[in-house]
Amino acid sequence: MNTREQKLRHALVIVWTLVLVLFVYLPIVCISLASFTASRYFQFPITRWGLEWWAKTFSSIEIRQLLSTSLSIALAVTLLAVVLGFFGALAFARYDWRGRNFFQRVILLPIFFPQSVLGLALLLWFNALGVQLNWTTAVFAHLVWIVPVVTLVMAIQVYSFDPALEEAAFDLGASRWQVWSEVTLPVLFPGIFSGALFAFLLSWGNFPLSLFTTGADTTVPEYLYAKMVAGYTPGVPVLGTVSTAGAALLLVGGYGVILLLRRQQREL
Amino acid sequence: MNSSRNKEQAGSSARRLAEQAAARLGPGEKTALPVLIFLFIGFAAPLLAVIWYSFMPPRTFSFTGVPTVQNYQTIFQSTSYISFLWSLSLAALTTAVLALICYPVAYAMVRVFGPYSMLLTLLFTIPLFVSENIRLYGWVLFFIKNGVLLGTVKHLSGLDLQSLLFTRAAVIFGMVYVYIPFMLFPMTLGVSMVPAETRDAAFDLGATRWQVFREVELPLSMPGVLIGSLLTFVLAVGAIAEAKVLGGQKVIPITHDIEIAFTYAQNWPLGSALAVLLMAVVGALVLLVLRRFDLDLLLGRK
Amino acid sequence: MRDTPPATRQPVLALRNIRKDFGALAAVDGLDLDIAQGEFFTIVGPSGCGKTTLLRMLAGLEVPTTGDILIRGERVNDLPANQRPTCMVFQSLALFPHRTVGQNIEFPLKIRGVEASKRKSKALQLMTLLRLPQDYYQKNVQRCSGGERQRVALARALAYDPEILFFDEPLSAIDYKLRKTLEKELKDIHRETGKTFVYITHSLEEAMVMSDRIGVMRGGKLIQVGTPQAIYSLPNSKFVSEFIGDVNVLPVELGGDGRLISSTVTGELAAPNLPQSFTRGYLVIRPEFLRFLERASDAQNSVRGQLYNEYALGSRIQYQIRAGEQVFVVEKLRQQAFAGHRDDEVLIGWDAKDSILVSN
Repeated sequence: MNTREQKLRHALVIVWTLVLVLFVYLPIVCISLASFTASRYFQFPITRWGLEWWAKTFSSIEIRQLLSTSLSIALAVTLLAVVLGFFGALAFARYDWRGRNFFQRVILLPIFFPQSVLGLALLLWFNALGVQLNWTTAVFAHLVWIVPVVTLVMAIQVYSFDPALEEAAFDLGASRWQVWSEVTLPVLFPGIFSGALFAFLLSWGNFPLSLFTTGADTTVPEYLYAKMVAGYTPGVPVLGTVSTAGAALLLVGGYGVILLLRRQQREL
Repeated sequence: MNSSRNKEQAGSSARRLAEQAAARLGPGEKTALPVLIFLFIGFAAPLLAVIWYSFMPPRTFSFTGVPTVQNYQTIFQSTSYISFLWSLSLAALTTAVLALICYPVAYAMVRVFGPYSMLLTLLFTIPLFVSENIRLYGWVLFFIKNGVLLGTVKHLSGLDLQSLLFTRAAVIFGMVYVYIPFMLFPMTLGVSMVPAETRDAAFDLGATRWQVFREVELPLSMPGVLIGSLLTFVLAVGAIAEAKVLGGQKVIPITHDIEIAFTYAQNWPLGSALAVLLMAVVGALVLLVLRRFDLDLLLGRK
Repeated sequence: MRDTPPATRQPVLALRNIRKDFGALAAVDGLDLDIAQGEFFTIVGPSGCGKTTLLRMLAGLEVPTTGDILIRGERVNDLPANQRPTCMVFQSLALFPHRTVGQNIEFPLKIRGVEASKRKSKALQLMTLLRLPQDYYQKNVQRCSGGERQRVALARALAYDPEILFFDEPLSAIDYKLRKTLEKELKDIHRETGKTFVYITHSLEEAMVMSDRIGVMRGGKLIQVGTPQAIYSLPNSKFVSEFIGDVNVLPVELGGDGRLISSTVTGELAAPNLPQSFTRGYLVIRPEFLRFLERASDAQNSVRGQLYNEYALGSRIQYQIRAGEQVFVVEKLRQQAFAGHRDDEVLIGWDAKDSILVSN
């Protein structure tokens, strides 16, 4: 193996990766730039800079309603997904039981499924059941996809959980509840936290499922989509940037918390 | 008097049944139950409903019609199957392009970047949580007339070029863009499953770089490649935003037809039939691929 | 050291016909055992012999299919692990990764509601006993070395103040040198605390270092129970005799006038004490009882063979002698090394009293 050749290959691959990263962030950058233009139409290079559209967006009642709807859905989804997913993760990774292989594959099905088709199927289903569509049906729809994802995320952590920990706590005199609260939950907490983070963010940014199941209510992605296909509206980049910045902050912040938790566990 | 006692008996025997079930079920079964019940109501049942609906007479809204295959006939006689083929080919093309684009990156994440791969993972993950609409719109702003690209060109050289938007290429571009994480992360997992020592041993035994790749690295990372490809394909087949935002009317994917059938055309049975065809393709692929994988091994069971 | 079995009072731990089935497989197959108070009892056996299952039943983590477990005469089958006066040191140690050394040790005390300052003083006391530096109290267990983690696990078990301590092969994942040190320390701690230790391992050597009595287990049954000396010098079967180190085993059958005929070695052999109904079996000779002879008459039994190889084992040297189908292992102290070369023809021999006869 020629080391100079190898170094060249490595350099190329690094460059390619960085190009891809740039590629991934370019549209986000464009949107952010566009949010700072004061003009009614988008023109690059930007001549008139200003924050008027930011002010207009934040003072809009419609926008506030959207944000509140998206937030309510995301919070409800997070709570329910974490609870369901926690049990699912235990069934997935911790216990040896007869239907386990079957269960593992069933969990994957909603993930390996085109979301818009799932949304439409749920639309049909809700109508057949006579259920009125609003933000709560959207919560249900999000969960169908998000619970499996959260289950997987948590299962990864549950895999490395030593069952002897629970047995040792029990052997040392703890009651079943104490084993749970003193050992199981604290040790699994980083996984639970990651799962919650995923659940929130995936719900917040979801479009295909929301589109078909929110009924009269509207989420931020739906609103943006409607405005986008109708032509350029200056408020769209603003809301888009807000949404993106919020997600990034949450993710980076959440990741920071996880790192902190791990470091806390390691050096006291 | 008798009826109330019967009710009591029924209630207590139900409770006894539940107790027996609870005693017989192990912790695995018990923890799996909530998720299974939920997925049954929220995933299996709606899909079954759709399948049933596809056999209902066209333009009806109830489940109790006389079953018919008319909807399927309509599909094959109309242009819908063209949209279907479009969606499948676009998805396939997207998957192929992404596989080529992402493998070097996955390789770099595992073997080249070392401590920085955590940072890179984070960087690639953040956009995932931003709604795809927003990201696609950024591309609109990039490619549109007077947008970021053309505007800069015009500013610098005075050339007024044609917009690249609303072409088939733009749609493919958008789809490749949106599904990067779905291809990248499983692939990275796959590459990380190639033990470094096995690679080194191959070199030690005289293989060239290309041979090592072909005989060792590619086959051993194949599970990740396959899962990434499957995930990308399946999700791409259900893509709805890319075509509309970047392609305008140029490309009509099957999801658009399904949506129209469900909303404007008010023809739910037809929409269901279209959906069923899509589900059949997806389902067959998923079963084919996922059947062979040991998920415990992939996800890190020790 | 003690060679006699412990006093016959009521045993602290008694097993009566214990059986554990997993489906059609009997992991533990009808086992009886008495363990005395304050004893260090080790169960030795190869992987899969059922020793871990047995230990888990004693700790209360598994339920026997049939049979009784008695602690001080009381049947405890239905008593869950958190109520038994026993504590286990797990193979993986099962230290709580999110807690410090002090918090781990104090865990059983915290569960019991002991107040903080009393807990701390008890924990520090145990840390001293187990030779852990006092400033480790605040240290996270994940940053401790292998040997230190062992001590923390033991301290935690002792904090529970159990009557019986169970050990599930805790030293199997440790490197040789550290293991030897910890084995001796474990024996010291046994003496200092006076508690009953029930230990399982796959290494008979390890068991010999620490135990008062040893039980050799195979296929879910106890093959032989006795002091280390008895197991070593008077094995009751080929299996037990082969369990420690290299040993010479010759298949033999009863020949004329009390002598033995071996299928692998020519000539008749003088036998040690013949058990009454002996017809065929094995003659077992430990390597240190074989010696190199000048003349065949220098020992009761002699064999001619070829020196194939020699191995230096620290203070001893081992010689491999090949005599036809049979391979002999002879051991000598380094100071008494044999002055021969490879491929030399040699004469080795032993006295009948230094050999053991087993039937199976």
